[in-house]
Order: sequence, then structure tokens, then C-alpha cells
Amino acid sequence: MNALAWLPQLRAPKLTAEQIARRAALPPIQPLDDTSLDDTRLVVLDLETSGLNVHRDLILSIGAVAIEQGVIHFGKQFERTLYRANHPLTETVLIHGISPSEIEQGGAAAATLLDFMEFAGQCVFLAYHAPFDQRMLTRGLRLDLGHKLRHKFIDVAELAPMLCPEAELGRASLDDWAGYFRLNNSQRHNAAADAMITAEIALILLSKARAQGITTLAQLHTRLGHWRQLRQARNAGV
Amino acid sequence: MTKEEAFSQAGKTAVLQNIHGTMTFLQKYPPFNSMEPSHLAWMVEHCQLRFYSKGESIISPQEGVVQDFYIVKQGLIRGERLIPGQETPDTTFEIGVGECFPLAALVGERATRTEHIASEDCFCLTLPRVHFIKLFKLSMVFRDFALRGVSSLLDQVNQQAQAQAAEQLGEQYSLETRLDELANRAPVTCQPDTPVREAVKHMHEASVGSIIITDQRLRPQGIFTLRDLRAMVADGDIGLDAEIRQVMTASPFHLSPAHTAFDAAIAMTSRHIAHVCVVKDDILVGVLSERDLFSLQRVDLVHLARTIRQAADVEALEAMREDIRRLAESMLAHGASSTQITRIITLLNDHTVCRVIELCIEKHGEPAVPFTWLVFGSEGRSEQTLHTDQDNGMLFEAESAAQAEQLRQQLLPLADRINHALAQCGFTLCKGNIMANNPELCLSRAEWGQRFDKFIRTTTPENLLSSSIYFDFRVVWGDASGAQELFDGVLRKVANNTLFQNRMAQNALMFRPPIGRFRDFVLARSGAEKDTLDLKTQGLTPFVDGARVLALANGISECNTIERFRQLCDAGVIEPLDAGAYEEAYHFIQLIRMQQHQKQARSGEPFSNRVDPDTLNHLDRRILRESFRQAKRLQSSLALRYQL
Repeated sequence: MNALAWLPQLRAPKLTAEQIARRAALPPIQPLDDTSLDDTRLVVLDLETSGLNVHRDLILSIGAVAIEQGVIHFGKQFERTLYRANHPLTETVLIHGISPSEIEQGGAAAATLLDFMEFAGQCVFLAYHAPFDQRMLTRGLRLDLGHKLRHKFIDVAELAPMLCPEAELGRASLDDWAGYFRLNNSQRHNAAADAMITAEIALILLSKARAQGITTLAQLHTRLGHWRQLRQARNAGV
Repeated sequence: MTKEEAFSQAGKTAVLQNIHGTMTFLQKYPPFNSMEPSHLAWMVEHCQLRFYSKGESIISPQEGVVQDFYIVKQGLIRGERLIPGQETPDTTFEIGVGECFPLAALVGERATRTEHIASEDCFCLTLPRVHFIKLFKLSMVFRDFALRGVSSLLDQVNQQAQAQAAEQLGEQYSLETRLDELANRAPVTCQPDTPVREAVKHMHEASVGSIIITDQRLRPQGIFTLRDLRAMVADGDIGLDAEIRQVMTASPFHLSPAHTAFDAAIAMTSRHIAHVCVVKDDILVGVLSERDLFSLQRVDLVHLARTIRQAADVEALEAMREDIRRLAESMLAHGASSTQITRIITLLNDHTVCRVIELCIEKHGEPAVPFTWLVFGSEGRSEQTLHTDQDNGMLFEAESAAQAEQLRQQLLPLADRINHALAQCGFTLCKGNIMANNPELCLSRAEWGQRFDKFIRTTTPENLLSSSIYFDFRVVWGDASGAQELFDGVLRKVANNTLFQNRMAQNALMFRPPIGRFRDFVLARSGAEKDTLDLKTQGLTPFVDGARVLALANGISECNTIERFRQLCDAGVIEPLDAGAYEEAYHFIQLIRMQQHQKQARSGEPFSNRVDPDTLNHLDRRILRESFRQAKRLQSSLALRYQL
């Protein structure tokens, strides 16, 4: 038992007994081991938030698309808006188009996050600019569910330039990559649609990874590490 | 609704946004555009999205029974089939965005026969077989599409053309309408012993132009029309109190209720009659007048044919070319098929040719010997469009070579006069000089026989080209029996000469349909013809040449391409499904070509067979591409049959 277990109790979220049981039953994480990419459940995630400050802002909606055996399943998608009391009308409303009334209808944060973690299951998360989504989700789960996020994240914004250096898109946006791969998506800046387009890019990248001899999570992780070092060395050199 | 349900409902609506986006994409393409939205949503929810990089194999014959139904979301897919004896596989088809595969294999629960390969990076929506089967049961539109494949696309085009025509003219009218629908009024009849005066009174009261004379059991005995009345009054020999049997035309022409308006129009035109009896089991059930048939058309086919046959001089015939163009346009607008239109144009052209010959004989004087006027090429196949060249010749009987030469010298000036009069009427003089005024084409039956023998015996490229023109052969004017014997001889000789058949088949592979490996159409790269393709040589010629070699080799004397396919099918030479597909594809290319000619005629441009596929609408483009694929299939089957 954790010695400081009493601490969060002060601010612990109010969960029903059933929710606590469900939280306890959440599956283990997928480590970045020798599991082949084809056999890994990948969940492509896109969060819409009330702003860009990972210490203060809140998750407003979650869009996620599962990739299994290298295939996107239309029937296996997740999108919810989260209920937030007194959600202020900020610029993100304009960016994401989630109106306060939509948020009113959203699920209570704890219930929705629990649903989402059950949907995610034993997976590796993929996201564009993954560190942001990882920190937002970590904080959201801690505050609203009292749960520690241990899932591994792979950043599509790193994966793409690593696997497609010929694109010469260094610091590109999701739109830039969508344009490069000639993907079209009418409903951009809605979490589900952004997750879908990220997932489509991920399918292309997985195919490129296979072509470059990367078949397991561990290999992908190692290659990303090398690539990151190389990039830092180059940047330092300049 | 509980709070829980409300939440999950909110979540569900949101997820539907991606489903909805995909549905919106699919709704641009058949059959998804006519499916029930709920069925389509069901399908998308059960779909998966897959990515294939360029060159990746998607399904292949080795993989066994096909497990998924594929829809191309992005990219281009090609089908490759290894033809025995060939080293590299042939691209048999290409599948673009919005198209599906492999329907035949899925419906037949078998492996695909063609390897499907990503021609570029592709995304495909895939539906697992179990769900495909469920959708097949769920959606009639989808089932229809899956079962009929490309044919239902062709149907849609026809429906579209007719719907447009109906909109344009405000009336639904099709030449395929059955006669029992058109001739639905009770016919005006009388007995043979009725006095003429009383019969005319009946006609007047019913305000019709004809009366049918029947026996007690309503079996037609004769017909009496206003024209007959006029002639009778002008003659003055027979009074109005005479019995009508004395002045009626006996054994009137009749058709069955199952015949179509088109059949009636053809009959009226070729027989110069204005009324057709509709007879079922010997009993008169209706009368169709040309007015019934063409009340909705501004240009009157029968009237036109009659005016042509009665034209006083070549100038009058020349003036009527414009009427023929307008008639063709109106038929096109009424949704007539390209075959119907080419048949009508050919029919009217035949009348024009006959009248020109009569007029020329009137001026020239009776020829020294009776002759038969032969036509070749597209005119021989009854496939003329408004864009028409002369390809003709003369045949006469002679007892010796010397006599033939003497008769030829007498006939040539008349032939020359006819050729030039035809040119005046809009039949362009043949650049290759395939005309009756050419001494080599004004021949006795024996001489024609020798000429044709030479084509079959010595297969030089030149002779093969000649075969492809002269063996589409028909009599327009004069006694046909000599020509028929001549052609029977040709068929016998071709049947026994496999070398000739082989070379003809080779010749039929010369013009390749313009579909390529990487783009959907192969277009001219530069010059005035940049970005265009030739509908005639690249689209129609493969069918015409293919049908000809198969017909000649199998003793079929018919020259019309569609008829050749039908008879080849009846004779078991080609599969019914193939015959149907070739026929539809041929119709469609011809239809696009005719629409283009109409447009050019209206805007006063010269006729051209070249079309820029980008100017066609989406559906037309797809079907044109599919039609070219059928041409390619026909060529592959010829190559296989003749081991080329």
C-alpha cells in the first residue's frame, strides 16, 4: 500500500462503487516490446481541450479510432464530449466548434473517461503531437477518475518525418501531412474526424514501416529514439 | 431515456460524424447514391478501411474464395490476368475512386480470376463477406447492382437520357412503347358490303383517316383511307354508293400488340403506308396511324421518307438532309437507342440513294443492262450516322469478259452521275475512291467473285483492308439475288480458309482501345488532338472488326455488328453474357459519338469522332471506360481463339 495513499483522498473524485470496480478491472497496458505491429491494438487519439495549457485546461471531447491488424474498423470508434460545469466560452469553441450546449449534453467526466479507457483497452496510443494528448489525458484521468495513465504513446508527428524523409516536412501540421498524402476530410477540427485522418496517416506509415523492415513495437521505439537523437544532433550542429 | 442512455446516445451521434462523412463520399457514386441511407449507414458501420501502397497485391487467384467486398476510396487499382502463352500479364481493367470489386467472384463465392494490384497508393473500404451477404439481402438496389454489374450502370444512363428528354419535351414517349399501349382506342370498322358513303361518314364522325374492313369475326379484310377516297373521287369511275370492298386495299399490313412503336415506324417508312393494323390471334384490336405515332415529334419520319421518295430533283433531296438531322436529334432526345437511330438514318439514306438513282436514270436514260447498287462499310452494316462517306459499287450480269467490259463502259457515266448527285445530298465522296464510278467497282457478278476470291486467297495488308470494307455488304437498289449468291460464295471460301481468318483476326487487334495502365484513358499527347480519343477507330472498330471475322468464319451473312453478335450467340460461338456486354458497350460508344455529332452539327462545326473524356459527365466517363474494357476483352478472346 502506498504510504501517501491518504493524500489524494482529500480531493478524490466521487465515484460510484460500480465505477471503482470498473476502474480496478481496466486491462494492463501494452508495453513497447517484441509484439508485432500487426498484432498490436493501436488507438489513434485526438483530444479537444478548453485551451493549450496542460496544467489548467480541461478535456472537452475525445475522438479515437482503433487500428487492429493494420485495419481501421468503422464500427470501432469512440467520440464523446465531456460534461464540464461552468465551461467558459473561449477561443477553442471557435476552433473546435464545440458549443457550451454540446458540452452540457456530454457525459459526466468520470463516466466518459472510464468508458474511454475501457474502449482503449490494452493498446498503444497514437496521436499527432502525442505529448500534449498524453499530458492532458494523464491529468484528466488523475483528477476525474483517480487513475494513473501508464499507456505508451507514439507521436505521429515524429513517426511521419522519420518514415517519410522524402516529404521534407520537418515541423509540419496534421493538415500538411494530410495534404502530402492527398487525404481529404471535410469535417476537420472535430475530434472524431481528426482522429480518423490521423489514423489514415497511421495506416500509410505502418505500411512504410513494414517496407523499411520495422515489424515490432520495440523496433519502432528504438528507431524513433535514434531518429530523435539524430535530429537533436543536427539541430545542435546548426 | 435514462441519463446513461442519453450519454451513450450523445456519443453515438458523434461517432456518426465519421460514418456520415464516408456516406457523403459514397453517395456520389452508384449504386450507393440510390441506396436507402439506413442501408448505406449499416454498410459503412461494418466497413473497414485499409491502405495499400503502390504495387501491392490486394487480392489474387491463389488466395481462394474472396473474403471481402472492396470500394476504392482513394487511388487506382488495376486487374492483371496472365494470358496463357504471354510472358507479362495483361491489364484487363482499372478500378477508380467510388468503384467496387470483385463482384462476380463474391456473388459466385469463388476466388478472383484476376489479380488486383494497387496502381498507386490506395485506400479501400472493405466489407467482410458475411456483411456483404447481409447487405445483399437487405438492399434491393445493392443486390441489383451486384448481380448485374456494369449492365445496371448502362441502364441508369439510358434512364437518365430518357428522363432528360422527357424534361426537355414535356412528354414521355419512347419508341420502345408497345403497340397495345399506343393503339388503345377501339378501331373504326365496317363490313365489306358497306357503301363507301356510309364508311366515310363513320370516319368523319370518329375523325380518323382510315377505316378497317373486317369480316363478321373482326378479322381484317382490307383498309380504306382518306387518300383512297381522294383517288376514288379524282378517278370518278366508282360512285359513293358502291360497296367498299371494290375500293379498299386488301390484306392490310399488320403487327402484333407486342411490337413496338419503332417497328411500326419502320414498317410505315419502308412500306410507304400511313396506317398499321394491330392484330392479335387474327382479330383486329387496334389501328395505329402515323399521326398517333409521331404526334409528338416535330419531324415526321414517315412523311420524310415519303417526301424523299417523291422528291422532284436532287436539290429537293439536298434540302431534306437538315430534316434527317433534326429527326435524329429528336429521336436521340426521346431516348431512342443508338441502334434505332442508326437504323433510321440508314433507312432514310437508303431512300435517298434509291431516289437519287431513279432521278439519275430519268435524266440519263435507261441503262443498257439492269444493275444492282451495292453499299459497303458502315452503310453496308446499316450503321450510318450523320457523318457519312460513300462506299458503293455496281453489280451486273454479263456472259463474257468482253461483254462485261462493254457493259461497264455504258454503266460508268451513270454511276458517275449517281456518285456526284449523292455528294450533293451530303454523302461525301469517298477519299479512297470506293465508288461505283471507279471501273474496278463496276463489275459483273463473275468479276466481283474473282475480286473477292483474291482478297481471301492472298492476304496482303491491302487485301485485308479491302476485306474489312467489302465484306460488310448490302444491296440498296436493284435485284438482290445475284449479290446474295456472290456473298454465299464468300462465306463458303472464308469458312475453308483458316489463314484468312487468322489474318483477319490479327487485323482486328490493330486498333487498341484507349485505356491504359496508369490513367483511366489513354489520350493523344500533343497537337490539335491533344487530350482526346477517337470514338470510332479506338472504340467502335474493335467491335466491328471482331464481329466481322467471327461472323465470316462462322457462315453468318448478316453484316450489322449487333446482329452479328446476336447470331454468333445463337450459334454458340460466343457466350450470351459476352454478347450482351459487347452489344451494350458498342451501343454506348455509338451513343456518345452520335451525341457529339449532333452537337457539332448544331454549332456548325465539322464532324469529328474525337472526344475529350473530361467533357463527359461522371457516369458517362465510367461507362465509356467500361465499354472500352469490353472492346479489350473481345480482342483478348480473339487473340486466344486464333492464338495470336
